[in-house]
Amino acid sequence: MSAYVPGLEGIVAAQTAISMVDGANGRLVYRGYVIADLAEDMSFEEVAHLLWTGRLPTRAELDALSLELASSRALTRAATITLDALPTDTDPMDVLRSVVSVQGVEHKLEKPSIPLAIHATASFPTILAMFHRRQLGLAPIKPRADLGHAANYLYMLNGKESSPGLVRALNTYLVLLADHGMNASTFTARVIASTDSDLASCLVGAIGALKGPAHGGAPSAVMDQLEKIGTADKAESWMREARKQKVRFMGFGHRIYRTYDPRAKLLKEMCARLNPKFYELASKVEETALMILHEEHPERPQATNVEFYSAGVLQAIGLPKEYFPPTFAVSRVAGWTAHVLEQSANNRLIRPQSEYIGPEPRKPVPLAERG
Amino acid sequence: MVANRASVHFTFVPEFSPGLEGVVAAQTAVSEVDGANGRLIYRGGYLIEDLSPVVSFEEVAYLLWNGELPNKTQLDALCRQMSAARPLKDTARGTLMAMDPQTDLMDTLRTVVSAQGATKTLTKPTQEEAIALTAVFPSIVAAAYRRRQGKEIVEPRSDLTHAANLLWMMGDEEPPVERVHFLESYLVLLADHGLNASTFAARVIASTGSDLTSCVVGAIGALKGPAHGGATFAARTMLDKIGSADNAEKWLRDAHARHERFAGFGHRVYRTYDPRAKLLREMAKAAAPELHRTAARTEELALQILHESHPERPNATNVDFWASVVLTGAGIPKEMFTSLFATSRVAGWTAHVLESLADLRIIRPASVWTGPPPGKKPVPLASR
Repeated sequence: MSAYVPGLEGIVAAQTAISMVDGANGRLVYRGYVIADLAEDMSFEEVAHLLWTGRLPTRAELDALSLELASSRALTRAATITLDALPTDTDPMDVLRSVVSVQGVEHKLEKPSIPLAIHATASFPTILAMFHRRQLGLAPIKPRADLGHAANYLYMLNGKESSPGLVRALNTYLVLLADHGMNASTFTARVIASTDSDLASCLVGAIGALKGPAHGGAPSAVMDQLEKIGTADKAESWMREARKQKVRFMGFGHRIYRTYDPRAKLLKEMCARLNPKFYELASKVEETALMILHEEHPERPQATNVEFYSAGVLQAIGLPKEYFPPTFAVSRVAGWTAHVLEQSANNRLIRPQSEYIGPEPRKPVPLAERG
Repeated sequence: MVANRASVHFTFVPEFSPGLEGVVAAQTAVSEVDGANGRLIYRGGYLIEDLSPVVSFEEVAYLLWNGELPNKTQLDALCRQMSAARPLKDTARGTLMAMDPQTDLMDTLRTVVSAQGATKTLTKPTQEEAIALTAVFPSIVAAAYRRRQGKEIVEPRSDLTHAANLLWMMGDEEPPVERVHFLESYLVLLADHGLNASTFAARVIASTGSDLTSCVVGAIGALKGPAHGGATFAARTMLDKIGSADNAEKWLRDAHARHERFAGFGHRVYRTYDPRAKLLREMAKAAAPELHRTAARTEELALQILHESHPERPNATNVDFWASVVLTGAGIPKEMFTSLFATSRVAGWTAHVLESLADLRIIRPASVWTGPPPGKKPVPLASR
């Protein structure tokens, strides 16, 4: 039995061919392709195909996948009723968790498969768009089969087509976030899959993990912090004061990357183009944060993480900040499902050990004699 | 020993242990599975065989959450809190009623718990939430069972204990004392069990700073798997196929020849008889005499056959085997077994989540790359 390592840091929990986070060199690799080579030209659908099958699709395969995704966008009756029963002020992550759960119910246990992965992936934007419109008191918009995954999400949110620039930005975001090694939500999905459970159970667990502020909840926290700072000229004084009060800077640091996160780099460039107002403040905050963090811990490799500029891109797309974490899920579901398929193809129950730190055995005192 | 965080840096690729077997993933005082000696210790240091004959499920839940058995005043307060938390919220009820009555009970539980716990803002897990979640499980499970049979939902009764109220909601009649006793014993015995897959799932989710409902919903998903919570159902199904003690030998020999696994045998951690299986086995004869005859003969032969083919392996009956008999004696149909397991284990899940908050660190392990070497250039779509 090996010694306890908090957070399983550095402990290998799986073998995978889906993605590799090469922290030392600041590289993210999907199935052999470096992320920078995929981000510009690939559609989310192509990347999902790549993650699920290990190959980029041919034209015919891509058309078939796009068709299958487009025809799986509608919610079941039970899922629609559940969505409508949730109070309109519910956290969209809780909505997603509940509605994905009901959308995926079955009569008997089914083994995870690519068709089930496609169905689940197709439903995420519909759930979020329907709920968002309900919050605004607007009627739901039916999905459009002629639009791609990113374009249709924006269409269902806004009731009109978005500009090609915004569609492209969302698509790139979805490509960049689609998988990232053995992160906590993906690992959760694999733990659940290891019991031979169904795909919906894995996804519901993963959504729950992504909800945590230390994981997917971070981009909205970035936005909160930037709002508090207000303007670029106030950045340094606000941040120095914040450090005195031990406030964490949101959007910095990562367990694995020892250099700049390659996704953050790409998102930063997009931010500069799409959201200049955000960029002006954020780039100043970034510069200041890295300076202060370096002053405090010159030995630590401090870098901006993916959440920081994600916030600016998602804001430019028109998403309110409560929808940042679930939109992360819209992307990551491709990776989660790919990992579940990989886990079930060569499965062993994930059942680690624990180290007992309680008292030695003793006898219970009867109820009447307890003080 | 707690590893010094700052000192944990790996410059080598550590070995991969499939299923994290033998890897310590948490420190816990909630329970300890001492597999080598066949002991299960619940929080506070109580051996399961000392505890289970003298405590109610409510007392065990209190113990797992607080580390001490409650006194009378504390227990009364907990029971009041739990009875008050039994009714479903309107949202959860709406969700339940929208679902096809034939839906898998674990899917119903997963969904309705998610809806019941849906909130406006993220909250840090608390014991109050743990109590409320634990209290509502029987209401969901019983209501789903009644709907499956096309019957009206029975409202919870606040004057009954957790176990008795569950049987009341399933059957709409005063449950006999013996059946309550069998169910109660089951609920006590299954309430926690070290770092099993569902508990581990809950702790991974908690490690991101997520809420208690998310942890519990993930744990339900993990427990649903046949390799985990589904095993009790599988054991009962096997006993049904065997049918009678007389048929056991033929059935088991045939199944073994077909390389079929015997449901209810073997465990990764126990190298001797599972103490819970022992306690349930003692109860099984009184609980379901006829099924007990089949089960006892099946156990005897299964262990014999397994020993013949693998004399080197420590083969033992696991908790699922005898739990399937005792639950039958409690009047629980096998379709409900996995959700009853969840109804018990939610006490342990929530205790683990609450414990983990004291030193929260995101659980983010490493993986070994087995894919193609990085740097492959994508071929444009038109040329693929």
